[in-house]
Amino acid sequence: MCFKYTSIYKHFYIIFDDNYIYIEYISVINTHGVHMPKHIISGLKYLAAVELRKKGRNQREIAAELDMDRSTVSHYLNGRNVSWNSIEIATVIRNTCPKDFLALTYALIKDKDKTRTIIKTCLDKKYDCKVKTSCIGCGICVDACMMNSIVLDDLKAQIDPYWCCGCLICGEMCPTNSIEIKEVKNDGENRDDR
Amino acid sequence: MMEKTEMIGDKDISVERTGAEARKLNFKNELCGSCGICEKICPVDAIEVNPTGAMVRTEQESSKLEIDENKCVLCGMCSCICPYDALDLEIKGKTIKESDEYPHLLKSSEIDEDKCIYCKACETACPPGAITIARELPDRSKLVSGEIEIDKETCIKCGVCEEMCPAEAIELDYKFPTSDDPTIASNINIDKDKCVYCLVCKKACPVDAIKGVCRLCSYGDYDIKAEDAEIKGSSDINEEVCVNCGWCKDICPVEGIKVTKPFEGTVDINQESCQGCETCVMACPCNAISFPETEEMGGISEKIHIDEKYCIYCGACEKACPVDAIDVKRTKIHSTPVKSKSWEKAFESIKN
Amino acid sequence: MTIGLVIYPELCHGCGNCVVACPINSLRSPEVAGGKGPTEDVDMVMMVDDGVIDLKNPNHCGKCGTCVESCPVNAIRLEQVEETE
Repeated sequence: MCFKYTSIYKHFYIIFDDNYIYIEYISVINTHGVHMPKHIISGLKYLAAVELRKKGRNQREIAAELDMDRSTVSHYLNGRNVSWNSIEIATVIRNTCPKDFLALTYALIKDKDKTRTIIKTCLDKKYDCKVKTSCIGCGICVDACMMNSIVLDDLKAQIDPYWCCGCLICGEMCPTNSIEIKEVKNDGENRDDR
Repeated sequence: MMEKTEMIGDKDISVERTGAEARKLNFKNELCGSCGICEKICPVDAIEVNPTGAMVRTEQESSKLEIDENKCVLCGMCSCICPYDALDLEIKGKTIKESDEYPHLLKSSEIDEDKCIYCKACETACPPGAITIARELPDRSKLVSGEIEIDKETCIKCGVCEEMCPAEAIELDYKFPTSDDPTIASNINIDKDKCVYCLVCKKACPVDAIKGVCRLCSYGDYDIKAEDAEIKGSSDINEEVCVNCGWCKDICPVEGIKVTKPFEGTVDINQESCQGCETCVMACPCNAISFPETEEMGGISEKIHIDEKYCIYCGACEKACPVDAIDVKRTKIHSTPVKSKSWEKAFESIKN
Repeated sequence: MTIGLVIYPELCHGCGNCVVACPINSLRSPEVAGGKGPTEDVDMVMMVDDGVIDLKNPNHCGKCGTCVESCPVNAIRLEQVEETE
């Protein structure tokens, strides 16, 4: 497993790879920036917990889903034990484009399944996924999709829109340009995600 | 996430991708016919076949083809279309040749054991040497019948019979003559398992010491049992090495071999541009090309002859020809159903 | 890297076997096809100049190896060369 990634945002300058994360926070919190990955993970879990609460899950269910203690969930939901800095940075991470959100979350958590849960919970966008007949079934997208949303069926990729997070990594890696992913707006209109 | 590596061992190549669905493409240089179909079908132009003539005629350090691991996406098309099984894609350690999802060329060569008489003609004719015939011949002594005896009193141990016996069945125990035993051999013996009762010894003996009779000569073969004359054996075609050219089927005297060729097509030679350089003859993995002999003295024949009986339309000759005098067209591919549209298109593209 | 025609003039005896063996030469010149040396170098892959082999148009080479086989002293070979294009 190896990820090397550099990205520049309005508020952030982010460099990270497998073992190292460095986030320089430029404008929002310039003096006491949060450097500890664990704190940011807490922030992300907080966001996910709140999302799940909104969906009507009880504390036990949230704890099971996010692999946390029930008491920690309770603390989080009551706004304790997690710093506002962490939440703020987690929020900025969530608001980056889906690819960066996914890459950053995975770099922090370093666990595929947990990353999938956080991304799935915090992203409320829906995607329309199409695979053109030019697909040759090479399986690169299957391996590339961190959300495990792609399988091969009769030498053609099939994308499960339920798990698609809109990161577009599959489309970028596809050797035959066969993948088309579009964000579906709430009013049902399609708009190009790029 | 994913990592791709290329390994080149001797002249074999393998390209590997790790990940949830580990894939590995193996290329076996020895099996490759340099036909270039893989190069043609590859959707990402990752394969380059080295010049066929150079590969078959001269010593080269490189493999017959190059795979660019940065381009190869391990889709498996080359593996499914290769008529020589030189390319093989494995997914999670299993070859796709055994998967129903992927199309396969329908090609086979089979020897009918019930018909085979183990004459070894196919073994000799097979261009890649894929056939092994093992046979067990009947006991010679059971196929002859007769009696033979040497009158050792009369015998002078001259050794004439031993020298003449075609079956090497007579043996003398030679020794130095001494004053108490002034003979040159102490004994003479006939090995009845070797003797075929031809009676050459009897006719040649200068002192008429040998008495013998061949029962077959006077009475025919009435006392030979059919099962004693049976030739046992086994035949085997190495599927991996076999090119399904049809030589074995053609040469088999008992029509005991069935061959299905992977492609149908046509071959045309432009006799005008052909310069008779022999590159195609050497390149053809099926030994289907030869220089024809003229029918009469001083007659003019075609410069080069392709016997389509043995051709599988792989196109190695076309690729090898330096003056583009050969045109190979594939009109039909015998394969299991191609389920994907893009694959169907790719398969169509190697017809020309 | 690719496989291409390479000559070793220091080994060459100037026999001209390769010139007449080359199917591309003989296709382009009826004289060469007849076994005689070419009178013009225009389209020849290789030619003997002053008793020594010289590559005239290596780009026309079909890499069939016929010349390599015809050379008695191994002065013309197909080898790995840097790509020219």
